[in-house]
Amino acid sequence: MTVTADANTTTATPEDAAPPRRAPWWLRLLRDRAAAAALILLGLIVLAAILAPLISPADPFANSRNVMIPPIWSERGMAEHLLGTDGQGRDILSRLLYGTRVTLLIGLIGMGLGGVIGSLMGLVSAFYPRLDPWIMRLVDMMLSFPAILLGLALVAVMGQGVVPVTIALGVASIPDCARIARGIAVGIMKQEFIEAGRAVGLSDLTLFVRYLLRNAISSIMIFMSLRFGQLILLGAALSFLGLGARPPQAELGMMAAQGRDFLLFAPHIAVIPSVLIFLIVLCANVAGDALRDVLDPRLRG
Amino acid sequence: MIGQIANRLILSVPVLFGVLLLGFLLLQLVPGDPAVVIAGPAAPPEVLDAIRQEMGLDQPVMVQFWNYLARVASGDMGRSLISNKTVLSELGGAIIPTVELMVACLFWSIPLGIGMGTVAAVKRGSIADRIVMALSVGGVSLPIFFICLLAIQFLGVYWPIFPFIGRGGPVWTYDGFMHIVLPAVSLGLIFIGPVARMTRSSVLEVLKLDHVRTARAKGLSERAVILRHALRNALIPVVTLVGLQAGYLLGGAIVTETIFSWPGIGRLAVGAILSSDFPVAQGTILVLALAFIVINLIVDVLYALLDPRVQG
Repeated sequence: MTVTADANTTTATPEDAAPPRRAPWWLRLLRDRAAAAALILLGLIVLAAILAPLISPADPFANSRNVMIPPIWSERGMAEHLLGTDGQGRDILSRLLYGTRVTLLIGLIGMGLGGVIGSLMGLVSAFYPRLDPWIMRLVDMMLSFPAILLGLALVAVMGQGVVPVTIALGVASIPDCARIARGIAVGIMKQEFIEAGRAVGLSDLTLFVRYLLRNAISSIMIFMSLRFGQLILLGAALSFLGLGARPPQAELGMMAAQGRDFLLFAPHIAVIPSVLIFLIVLCANVAGDALRDVLDPRLRG
Repeated sequence: MIGQIANRLILSVPVLFGVLLLGFLLLQLVPGDPAVVIAGPAAPPEVLDAIRQEMGLDQPVMVQFWNYLARVASGDMGRSLISNKTVLSELGGAIIPTVELMVACLFWSIPLGIGMGTVAAVKRGSIADRIVMALSVGGVSLPIFFICLLAIQFLGVYWPIFPFIGRGGPVWTYDGFMHIVLPAVSLGLIFIGPVARMTRSSVLEVLKLDHVRTARAKGLSERAVILRHALRNALIPVVTLVGLQAGYLLGGAIVTETIFSWPGIGRLAVGAILSSDFPVAQGTILVLALAFIVINLIVDVLYALLDPRVQG
């Protein structure tokens, strides 16, 4: 990656700091077949989740007498319930669509929360070296408190629910994100255009936003995308334990937990939402890795 | 190295303080007036006052917090609202099963992960490498509860080889061993991926170094080069990884314990939170946080011992 480094050191304006153009990044990304497949599948899942109220075939919260109907491809399947029904006779496909919404939102909001606060801490740390030791010490402290424990503690204080779980995921991503943001920002701060900006008398705010933030943000976002899968898994696990989403809400982890009691007679109730979580996380991981390799190989490690 | 450890210890102080504050806060959530709970609803006011005075409930909050710290330091964390046993005895019974599960999980997953990662690195680009990488991405993408449910479904119900409810006693007894197999295998499966991945990239780094080339040049067998010269250096980051991933492992352990009714800290914590048993919830969070502070300390020390360049 010497090419990238050279390009960075010889530029004088922030806009030129991007790596030199080869094939456009999205083309290189799509050439990686696994990544392309992952992105497309993830896109479809997200689209289905967004459109849930329009496309779901039944009311996801309505009980019925048709309990534990297996999916359509098994003998006793019913055409009106493509993926069967759960222990309370609710349509699994509809619950899946609504549940994916909640699962994805918990991950996204948690990631956004941690990403914004974490990046700000990291960028400020690099921008004002005097604050650096203090902020980084705070980050080290936060690192020694794992996400799952934070989740347990918040739920213990606030009670079960989606909100404490989301906050826990967000707070737990702050320290990692702050470290990465600081690393990226320290590299940018050494470059000449920062010096040049200072020399022409730009205010700290302009320098921070237009010169530092703008150049750091894409790398930070790539890093965050790498964590998305883990956040989804953690959120689903907390909901599985009964600490997150509460009935009658639909959430994939909680749906899997509800299927636990019917594992013997109707394994599909637990298996289908679990497989969907697996697919979401797998796609996010594969796509995130590929995105990093294409856009910012320095983050590998 | 001493500087490193001192730094870590200093950092632990505010964390510990925060956790204790949280524990104190949790106890404030206990419903009802503790004096009424102890003396019963029919107790006359002067008795209630006497109990309040005795328990320090009439003191300012700061004094109460101080008293709480003193009690925790002496091991008194209150009583469970549900079983009425002391929190300390509840915790005492749960620590060994959790440690046992963790050790059993690491015992098989770390060597296997290191082995897989080394093979993948040495045969970089081969089919073996691709399989290892695919498995590790798949492994970190699987929800732990799904692994546990599959393990129960196939190895507990369909082919009833292993029991899947509770603990059968110490691990060296037959019953104890049979009971720990499914939880330890399930938990280990989520840990192999990160270990294999880290080992692979670490071995790849080391294989580029001069001393490996020298070892090859002086005619050592490939086996000796890899085992003695490459792997030894490559394992340093793996140690850190195990420490950094301790939180990830704990998350998995909590789910695993709950599903297999394994009587450990994780299940105790979840059960206490779900049933609003605040004293026990407080105790489990305190103990787990303390465990993390200690684990971080151990990893720092190990790191310094393995890599003499780290001198703090």
